[in-house]
Amino acid sequence: MSDSRGWTVRTRADEGPEDLVAKVTGTAIYATDIEYPNLAHAALVRSQVAHGLIRSIDTAAALAADGVVCVLTGADLADIDPYYGELVYDQPAIAIERVRYAGEPYCAIVAESRALALEAAALVTADIEPLPGLFGPDQALAPGADPIHPERPAQPDAHPNVCRQYRLDVGDVDAAFARAAYVHDAVYRCPAIYHYAMEPFCSIASWEGGGLEVISGTQQPFRVRDGLARMFGLPHTRVHVRAPYVGGAYGSKGEMKYEPLVAALARKAGRPVRLACSIEESFHTVTRHAASVRIRTAVDENGWMIGRDSEIVFDTGAYADKGPRIASRGANRVSGPYKIPNLRARSAAVYTNTVPAGAFRGFSTSQVLWAEESAMDEIAEALGEDAVEFRMRHLLDRGDQYMTTDSPLDADLKAGLRLAAAAVDVGSPAPTNVGKGLAVGVKDAGGGAGRAAATVRLHLDGSIELFAGATELGQGSARVLGALAANEFGVSPDAVTVRLADTATAPFDRGTNASRTTVGVGGAVLDACGKIRAQLREALLACGVDGEDFRLVGAELVVGSFRRSLTEVLAGLSSIPVREVGFLIGQGLHVVEVEPDTQRSRSLYYEVCYSTVELEVDPDTGRIALRRFVSVTDAGKALDRLACEGQDLGAAMMGIGSTLSEELVYEDGILLNPNLIEYSVPTTEFLPSHGFESILIENGDGPGPFGSKGVGEAGIIAVAPAIANALYRATGVRIRELPLTPARVWEHLATDKAQRAANNVPTEPVR
Amino acid sequence: MRSGAHPPVTARGRVNGRDVETAIAAQTLLIDFLRDAMHLRGVKRSCDVQACGACTVLLDGRPVSACTTLALELDGCDVETVEGMREASGLGAVQQAFIDAGAIQCGFCTPGFVMTVHALLRQYPDADRPMIIHELAGNICRCSGYESIVHAAELARDRLRERAAAPSEAVVARER
Repeated sequence: MSDSRGWTVRTRADEGPEDLVAKVTGTAIYATDIEYPNLAHAALVRSQVAHGLIRSIDTAAALAADGVVCVLTGADLADIDPYYGELVYDQPAIAIERVRYAGEPYCAIVAESRALALEAAALVTADIEPLPGLFGPDQALAPGADPIHPERPAQPDAHPNVCRQYRLDVGDVDAAFARAAYVHDAVYRCPAIYHYAMEPFCSIASWEGGGLEVISGTQQPFRVRDGLARMFGLPHTRVHVRAPYVGGAYGSKGEMKYEPLVAALARKAGRPVRLACSIEESFHTVTRHAASVRIRTAVDENGWMIGRDSEIVFDTGAYADKGPRIASRGANRVSGPYKIPNLRARSAAVYTNTVPAGAFRGFSTSQVLWAEESAMDEIAEALGEDAVEFRMRHLLDRGDQYMTTDSPLDADLKAGLRLAAAAVDVGSPAPTNVGKGLAVGVKDAGGGAGRAAATVRLHLDGSIELFAGATELGQGSARVLGALAANEFGVSPDAVTVRLADTATAPFDRGTNASRTTVGVGGAVLDACGKIRAQLREALLACGVDGEDFRLVGAELVVGSFRRSLTEVLAGLSSIPVREVGFLIGQGLHVVEVEPDTQRSRSLYYEVCYSTVELEVDPDTGRIALRRFVSVTDAGKALDRLACEGQDLGAAMMGIGSTLSEELVYEDGILLNPNLIEYSVPTTEFLPSHGFESILIENGDGPGPFGSKGVGEAGIIAVAPAIANALYRATGVRIRELPLTPARVWEHLATDKAQRAANNVPTEPVR
Repeated sequence: MRSGAHPPVTARGRVNGRDVETAIAAQTLLIDFLRDAMHLRGVKRSCDVQACGACTVLLDGRPVSACTTLALELDGCDVETVEGMREASGLGAVQQAFIDAGAIQCGFCTPGFVMTVHALLRQYPDADRPMIIHELAGNICRCSGYESIVHAAELARDRLRERAAAPSEAVVARER
């Protein structure tokens, strides 16, 4: 990695980066905006039954309706492999023989317009024989519960509704509990929530170019390509997937979602087809796992945590999606970033008849830390110790092993915690009904072993072109990758054209997830630029100029007083005419290997965030008002400060929403609030009244370019316990179920008040 | 309601300063007219229930959700969308402030926010932070956490006030 040139933030002379200008003028093109020749439009018919066997579907009236091109049901998929998923291929492109959740599509209409398709969809009727609905893990795992996937058991050695079970065993947990002086034992719950990306799911498919072309708002274009190739029996080279601008994702647009169905529709229609879902349909596509986390912690007579035993149940809904890895990753994180020598965790992702759950920013860390960091405050209080000091004593040091199967810790957590505790002065007294709290969040990032790639071309006119498989979701990847390339040649970022997320032109990329783009793809960009610089240096040597310290000025190379055009310099490099060369190319890689001796998967780095909050509770209504929120996040090195702070505060606000208000509410398997009126995402009125700040820690100790780390997820993972801990300090009431709505808080306050009155305990809260 | 069940109705208005005359089905929504007939793709569709503000446009200067407004409303009115917010010299002050404040991430909500801030600052050039927060509460951004957006609105307000306080070169020339 060529860090020798150092990192220079270059300001632009013009209005701003191309992507931001496009977005602020309304010219940025998303999948819903693309105009495509001869495009037909799809609408889906969704089940109102949560679990049932499809006896018949009557599509005759829909087929005869105005403007209808074709109708498709599961019966049309007999000649392909209709199932997909990440690790478990259990989800059909459209329901086949059985519906597994209310809202699952079982029939699709293609028509000349979306409006005509919707009108025809309303004419479809179906005979669906209801089966008993299993609406939570308790029901799904009950003895004798019907299997939701009888034909395709995901984990044959377990209960048929277990999608994945996972065990973590470190040391001797039973011995630790046997000698414990104190045991803390509590269960924490959080409901399913929805990502609510502003752009609903949208995909376009066409078979008109000698293969399958798909344009989709996806985080993982290459995963979509590979999946479609497998399902339709096509070579990878005949599936072309690209992602235009994506209007938010947060995990929801990973793996495949509607792409297989839209491809099947376009195949049957014989025309390009777009499916632009409504927001209500998007709510019925993927959610964040509801979870129940029981944590038992053994503490010895000296106040040291010596063992932890956990049981985690994730409700993965009707299909596996990313549930299997949610189960394993979640279990691996139960220790939090603390030294606990003996660990046991049992986790499971369980099928139920609800909307499938998948990846969500934080990838199960949020659910587990909600329990773990709440428990830390509770244990500290039981021991009569300050919650910050209790954490300080147990925090891992740099280089310590975290999560047994992964890389050693690469951050200074103790210094970070001191900084965060000071940020809201967490130990100082607070007025009545006001409380301060914090929580520590650490998450493995980068997605384990793997590789990232980038291709850079330096054209003879001095312009630079960068290709990578990453997707621009709003995190500013295009800008930071372009700026990295520009920095390597000493030019303005305007000289670099960045082309992302196109499987026909970009090198393979696993996907834009796990906060891996700046570190992984950024590293590959530096590698690619280094390879071009090596070629230039060789050409300069042929010109009699030696030196690493050259830069590009327009179409000229400059080294000290030497200044010559690229064309002239390169003439000495090859026996063929320079104009036949066209451009220099650098293929860059960033590789993280599995450790051969231990087969340990190595995370690229750890994301670290300390969420600190000061809040006020209205005892009459139970409403929590945030006064101040400071998110302290380890960026390693902020390559784009505004973008890093934007990620941090955006993640924190998303966490504030899921802590205070967001909850998908079901009744008999029917989602009751799949809309923005009844599902409450944060608005500006959620802003803390006395400050909402991001503090970035920059020790230059990340594995990314110039010591950077990713910051996409850290800001969300510790928000809920920080708020619950502050709520406890304000009221003396501990709530272990999210969200902390006014109604829930008020009920707990009322119960607490009644209990205190009955026990004749003074009502002043503990501080 | 079936498409084409009613004969088209003629509407005459202005969209981003240009005269528009169109014959449209009475039930056509303004969002569909602007996106499909006028190709103004900066009008974004998200919630469909006038709750997210992504499709905010100005109707005679008033912010409305195009997803719950009939296209016929444009009859006799001025409609402004984000595409009309550029100034002769470049980006509009509000647009530039959104870039400079780091208030844009995925960008799907951005046009709606830009329009709401425009409407607010035209009516209340001195809008303070609580007022900005209140006025922007009808627009959802899922990426930013809002702090940068409020900052963008404040930045645009300050720049527009400075511009209003400094007599423009044209005015100075005329006074000479």
